[in-house]
Amino acid sequence: MRPLFRAIKWGIGGYLLGAVAAWVMAGASGPLNGPIEVTVGFIAGLIGWIFGIGGWNNWGREWFGLPPKDDGKDDWRRYFRFNTDHKVVGVQYLVAFIAVMGIGGIMAMLMRLELARAGTDFMSEETYNKVMSMHGILMVAVAVAGILGSFGNYLIPLMIGAQDMAFPRLNALSFWLIPPVAVALLSAPLLGSFEAGWTAYPPLSVLAPGDGQLLFNMGVIAFGLSSILGGLNILTTVTTMRAPGMTWGRLPIFVWAGFSASLISVLFTQYFAATLVMIQLDRIAGTAFFDAKAGGGTLLYEHLFWFYSHPAVYIMVLPAFGVSLEIITHFSRKPLFAYKAVVGAFLTIVGLSGIVWAHHMFTSGMANYFHAPFMALTEAISIPTGVVFLAAIGTMWKGRIWFTAPMIMATGWVFNFMIGGITGIFHADVATDLQLHDTYFVVAHFHFTIIGGSIMGLLGGTFYWFPKITGRMYNERLGKIFALWVTIGLNVVFLPMFWVGVNGMNRRVAVYPADLQRVNEFISAAAFLLGAGFLLFIGNLLWSAVKGPKASDNPWNASTLEWSVSSPPPHHNFPLLPEVVGHPYEYGRPGARHAVLSTTGATHG
Amino acid sequence: MAAVTLEAAHSRAELLHQPRSNKLGLWIFMASETFLFSALISARFITSGVQKPEDLNQALAFGLTCVLLVSSISAYLAEAFIATGHRRAFLAATRVTIVFGLIFIGGVMFEWREALHNFPPGTIYGTAFFSLIGLHAFHVLTGVLGLAVVLNLGALGHFGPSNSWPVEGVVKYWHFVDLMWVIIYPALYLF
Amino acid sequence: MRREWLVVGAIWAALTALGEFVVTTWTMLPEGYSRESHVVNEAYVLLLVMAVPVFAFMVTMLGYSIVAFRHPGATEDGPNLGNNKRVVWIWLAVTAALDLAVLINPGFVGLRDIRGTQSADMAIEVVGQRWSWTVTYENGATSTTEMVVPVDTRIRFDVTSTDVLHSFWVPGFGLKVDAVPGRTTQMYVTTERTGDNADDSRLRVQCAELCGLSHADMAMTVRVVERAEYDAWVEDLKNNPPAAAQQAAGATATTAAGEQNDQQAGAAAGQEG
Repeated sequence: MRPLFRAIKWGIGGYLLGAVAAWVMAGASGPLNGPIEVTVGFIAGLIGWIFGIGGWNNWGREWFGLPPKDDGKDDWRRYFRFNTDHKVVGVQYLVAFIAVMGIGGIMAMLMRLELARAGTDFMSEETYNKVMSMHGILMVAVAVAGILGSFGNYLIPLMIGAQDMAFPRLNALSFWLIPPVAVALLSAPLLGSFEAGWTAYPPLSVLAPGDGQLLFNMGVIAFGLSSILGGLNILTTVTTMRAPGMTWGRLPIFVWAGFSASLISVLFTQYFAATLVMIQLDRIAGTAFFDAKAGGGTLLYEHLFWFYSHPAVYIMVLPAFGVSLEIITHFSRKPLFAYKAVVGAFLTIVGLSGIVWAHHMFTSGMANYFHAPFMALTEAISIPTGVVFLAAIGTMWKGRIWFTAPMIMATGWVFNFMIGGITGIFHADVATDLQLHDTYFVVAHFHFTIIGGSIMGLLGGTFYWFPKITGRMYNERLGKIFALWVTIGLNVVFLPMFWVGVNGMNRRVAVYPADLQRVNEFISAAAFLLGAGFLLFIGNLLWSAVKGPKASDNPWNASTLEWSVSSPPPHHNFPLLPEVVGHPYEYGRPGARHAVLSTTGATHG
Repeated sequence: MAAVTLEAAHSRAELLHQPRSNKLGLWIFMASETFLFSALISARFITSGVQKPEDLNQALAFGLTCVLLVSSISAYLAEAFIATGHRRAFLAATRVTIVFGLIFIGGVMFEWREALHNFPPGTIYGTAFFSLIGLHAFHVLTGVLGLAVVLNLGALGHFGPSNSWPVEGVVKYWHFVDLMWVIIYPALYLF
Repeated sequence: MRREWLVVGAIWAALTALGEFVVTTWTMLPEGYSRESHVVNEAYVLLLVMAVPVFAFMVTMLGYSIVAFRHPGATEDGPNLGNNKRVVWIWLAVTAALDLAVLINPGFVGLRDIRGTQSADMAIEVVGQRWSWTVTYENGATSTTEMVVPVDTRIRFDVTSTDVLHSFWVPGFGLKVDAVPGRTTQMYVTTERTGDNADDSRLRVQCAELCGLSHADMAMTVRVVERAEYDAWVEDLKNNPPAAAQQAAGATATTAAGEQNDQQAGAAAGQEG
């Protein structure tokens, strides 16, 4: 635990040092919490934290010609330090983001408590805005990095037959950037008003009093850095570290999904960072990006922001496509239907995702001639997405369907994501979007896509790979109950939101017309039940990780490479280096093999 | 015994992969950075079109551009020298590049003092000017730091023809930063 | 083989029929007060009608597979059917055709119906500021508590904002447009039916873009009245100062700008209707 304490000390020290230095040099408002002090302090604190946790021992020493130093042993404490083993990083991500999801979930429960009544009975509007903004950004973070960070790191090297990621230290760095981000985001409301939502639209985010917005910006920029480094690592790993025989056409579909999502995160995340830098500069340096009086404009922000944030939804759902198709294939015991078409669809989605952003702006007052092309491009995304659905039902057709908890999650994903997809067309269509934009219809839509898409993939994958990661089996009965609970509960909670949306309830409000109260009461009650269901999930996993029955190496009798090693896998993944000889999903063909673990490992390379 | 050979196999495999990975990783990183610059450059054109103030210090900007372009040549020489084993020449070329980089940063600081009066950050051109040049100067600064690390390690005797990746990486990054300036310079001064 | 497809086809047809019955008879969207809201509602129903067969097909396939092909345990493999190019191409053709259909109608048709004509019988200026709306009529009268518009009139709203982004939304009109600082955005509405916020909470101006503390309360009641009544009202508004007009309208609506409002009164802005 020593590196962790050192990191905390250096982080706090860095913040103080940075803040005081900024105070002395800029002579600004307050000694420790003025706008410039917070900004500089956060950067210095972040650097201090990173150096403390392992940056110094891994890179700093090398820069001065000293040998890198590794601290600590490989016991349980390895999860609390800068560890380059991709499996440790994956578990760190998984646990951290399930915890973040829990905090975000509590925020959601608080919001529903307030929304059970039409007036402000439980919390003030100011508090509601804070809780709502917090819920938004935390859940966006979970959806963006939840699957890619955990299963992406844990499984991609295993699935392609590599010993580790291409850049193990960078991998550890991208995880250890997350704790300061969490601290920044969670403490942002303490520094005063924090009310611009996760989208942080200016001029509100520039004009809002209090410095919470500054910490939000810095935290999200650091999160973006983590996201970019993680994506870079996955792209490089998949390109250069594949085992012999693992051609691009033999990659498991989850690897393709992670690869596609990483392409988006590497390229587009910079735009979000850039927009937040602009807000930061407007706030602390007095620039005029979004000051209409000086000639700046908010449409600029909306264009740049959505240029990232629309592709970002594919960073969220593409890995979940991969997880769910992976599960559906193995539990239907049939080859993945239309593998090549699915890969093509993923890459098409990546391409299209970059040129559809303005469909978030049909009401923004942008020029009219933008509307038709963006509507057309947006609706075109339904074609590649449709191929993913075809793969799901085509694989299940005539399969031998083993209806376990992960399989329930995966089929629930098909169902719920489909509702999300279909209601998405109502927003792509200009006529309906003009009415539905910024109403609860949108809220319902994106919860169907993000919970139904991304989060259900995360939950399903957690069940599916739980025996591999922990070496123990979860409780199947509880798992099944939970999977059904989420699949059905999602519909009970969010279907009525479509109705309140079309009846004139706008989003991000603590008060609403009284005639919508009955339905909102129902939604709140259902939401509490859905939220309570997650206790089942946490309880099941915690108990099973310690007391669950020992799992075999391949409890699902699945064909991909990660199941060919022990549970949990040994330190360098493969005791004998694998050689890939066939497609990963050759179910039903006698004698077909995906890989052989060759005995002449030393020739690998 | 078996464990030892396995470790050896792993590290050998890593050695075989690593140069390819490093190169690819750097290229991906630079592609990503290009998007960052493109966001701010497009912001410049969206907010203020191609207008620019009269009192830009064109001579200084042109001079700084030349300094940066020449520094790319010396950076290239540093890379070429270490790849062929000429350590002393490599160290000299790296030093020259660092000096050029510092001249550039100094020039930017000098220019900013004028610019703060002529078109402060609160004006729309000043917004684009200070943010773009600030972002770029920050990259130059990281490039200088990278070169300094390489110089220090090189002086300690770390690199050679078979082990020149860190130099190559830093120099590639330096070229990238130069390339960004070649786009920013016309965007701010010439249009 | 053939029997399976017959069963699937039958379930699909039944589900589709049921779904189409539901979406065409259950008017999920309440009737609006403007021609544009009819365009929106028609587009909405049309999209639902087109979505039902697709959704029904997926549900049928999913449900049938789960029921018919259950086989607990990983003891047996299914057939080695990895690909079927014909199925993929047919699927692509069908989804592309559906996409094209959606794009033409309601897509382009709806766009034409809503944005097509840029002429109006009258113009009303709307200014959003935290956290209230100011409406200025053609005769120069202004109101901040209630917006009254004549029926059977094509109105152009010129919307802008003095501080942050807002969005000018009247749910009953079926349209919204953002109020953007530094520029004027336009929204064309053709009123078709009279109505009063007292009977329908969707007749209110509601801010639909998060604008800070009292975003939810940034609302104002709306009345659509006969032309003669409107003329009298707006003339009266001009002659009598806003305070009197407020009395006349009997509105308890919005809050003063920049003021930390009483929460319950704020809630009432929405609830009044």
